[in-house]
Amino acid sequence: MTTITRQDLNFGQVVADILCEFLEVAIHLILYVREVYPSGIFQKRKKYNVPVQMSCHPELNQYIQDTLHCIKPLIEKNDAEKVVVVIMDKEHHPVERFVFEISQPPLLSISSDALLSHVEQLLRAFILKISVCDAVLNNNPPGCSFTVLVHTRDAATRNMEKVQVIKDFPWIVADEQEVHMQEPRLIPLKTMTSDIVKMQLYVEERAQKT
Amino acid sequence: MEDVVLHYRPGSVAGLSSLLETTEKLLEAFPCRTPPVFTSWFPTSATDRLPIRPAKPAPVITSSANLLISDNNRLHTHTAAAKTCELQKTKDGVSERHDDCAGSETIRSPDEKTQKSKDALCISETPNHLLPLSAYNKPESRITRLSPEKQPQKDKDGFTATDCPVKRCWRVCTQRGVVLQSSQLLSKQFHHMVSIHSLHLRQRAKWVISEDNCGAANSIEEVWQTLSRSVRNTRLPTCNVNIQRERAEIWVFCDVLYSEQVGRFLKNELQLTGKISLSVHRLGNVFSM
Repeated sequence: MTTITRQDLNFGQVVADILCEFLEVAIHLILYVREVYPSGIFQKRKKYNVPVQMSCHPELNQYIQDTLHCIKPLIEKNDAEKVVVVIMDKEHHPVERFVFEISQPPLLSISSDALLSHVEQLLRAFILKISVCDAVLNNNPPGCSFTVLVHTRDAATRNMEKVQVIKDFPWIVADEQEVHMQEPRLIPLKTMTSDIVKMQLYVEERAQKT
Repeated sequence: MEDVVLHYRPGSVAGLSSLLETTEKLLEAFPCRTPPVFTSWFPTSATDRLPIRPAKPAPVITSSANLLISDNNRLHTHTAAAKTCELQKTKDGVSERHDDCAGSETIRSPDEKTQKSKDALCISETPNHLLPLSAYNKPESRITRLSPEKQPQKDKDGFTATDCPVKRCWRVCTQRGVVLQSSQLLSKQFHHMVSIHSLHLRQRAKWVISEDNCGAANSIEEVWQTLSRSVRNTRLPTCNVNIQRERAEIWVFCDVLYSEQVGRFLKNELQLTGKISLSVHRLGNVFSM
């Protein structure tokens, strides 16, 4: 068994690549499952060897890609502790929050090539949980939109420069009303522990959605 | 617990005792594992730090025949008839207030997005990257308007639909409302071509309309507008169309099953001249009309 630090093999970049790829799939799937966008814009694809729904709308795809492109440096530096997909009602109050908690170990123990395939299996389980999460969630009101929040380990303002990687895709500090939800119902979906990353997904659902 | 009656075959006493022991074990209550209490690793209340988010709102995709136009940071939807709308500045840039009366032109900010039938037509617009960057990066105060049913109208900065920097380049049509026609309507010639190339009837095929085919229309943009209307009226089954402004071509994608029907429609309704060609992946052009 070899022990590799975060600096070796550009470990942070590998983790960021894996997580951003996963988050892209997860965001598309959440938007489909929670009916934030019309199902007509989604197409069935295969990822992690399971069927997923991906948007085929160029503008939405670009928005998601830009968002994740900006988040990547934070994940790479292990500065992001939570990535939250917030579904908001017409009044921009959150009705659901899909919270991805991310924790990366300071040391990495790699034993074999099986490492990444093991991670893929774990990520697949997340995707499967998301695809059936509508069974445990209440319907959202019509006219919902979404946003992605990133909780950083340090003060947000210190990380602003890191996320401003796309010129015309600025980031701002979220409003209090976008973050806090009244009487949320907590629904744990999945937790994974691997050698390279630990991740936990849960949903906070507003008790009264309408 | 109710009494349990054990029927056993008379034999050795040792056999009976072990049988009783096994039975007692079987009747023991299953151990219940208490699941660990779920706790957030990073509870929000523990820190007062607010998260960050993209300043730009997520795109709004309407699911009716409304048009959606985006101009970098803003998205608007329009309905057919026109009435004046009062513009109202908000803290996020410009959003518009709309009249509630029926039949009025409706321009909505993302906050007022509407979502109707899941499978309804989806329309959006994407930027025309061929336009000069200076034109594309106009200040936020400009609002672009484009509706094929309407005459070009000036916006508050004097831009008309024709000179607005954002032009539609992508459309998709769902099956809803489309009158399906069976493969029996395929001509012999087309059927022969399908069998020669072993094409699957659900395979996607592409009609290409170039500038040479414009015919009655003055330009490829005019053909595109007419075609857009047809797609929005779901007259083209299984179609999604996009305009390739770099090539001055319109690509109409559809299932092989409907491609002849779509081709005829394109030729007749759009009054195209010359030949339009049908191509499929890997094989290239397989048919022309």
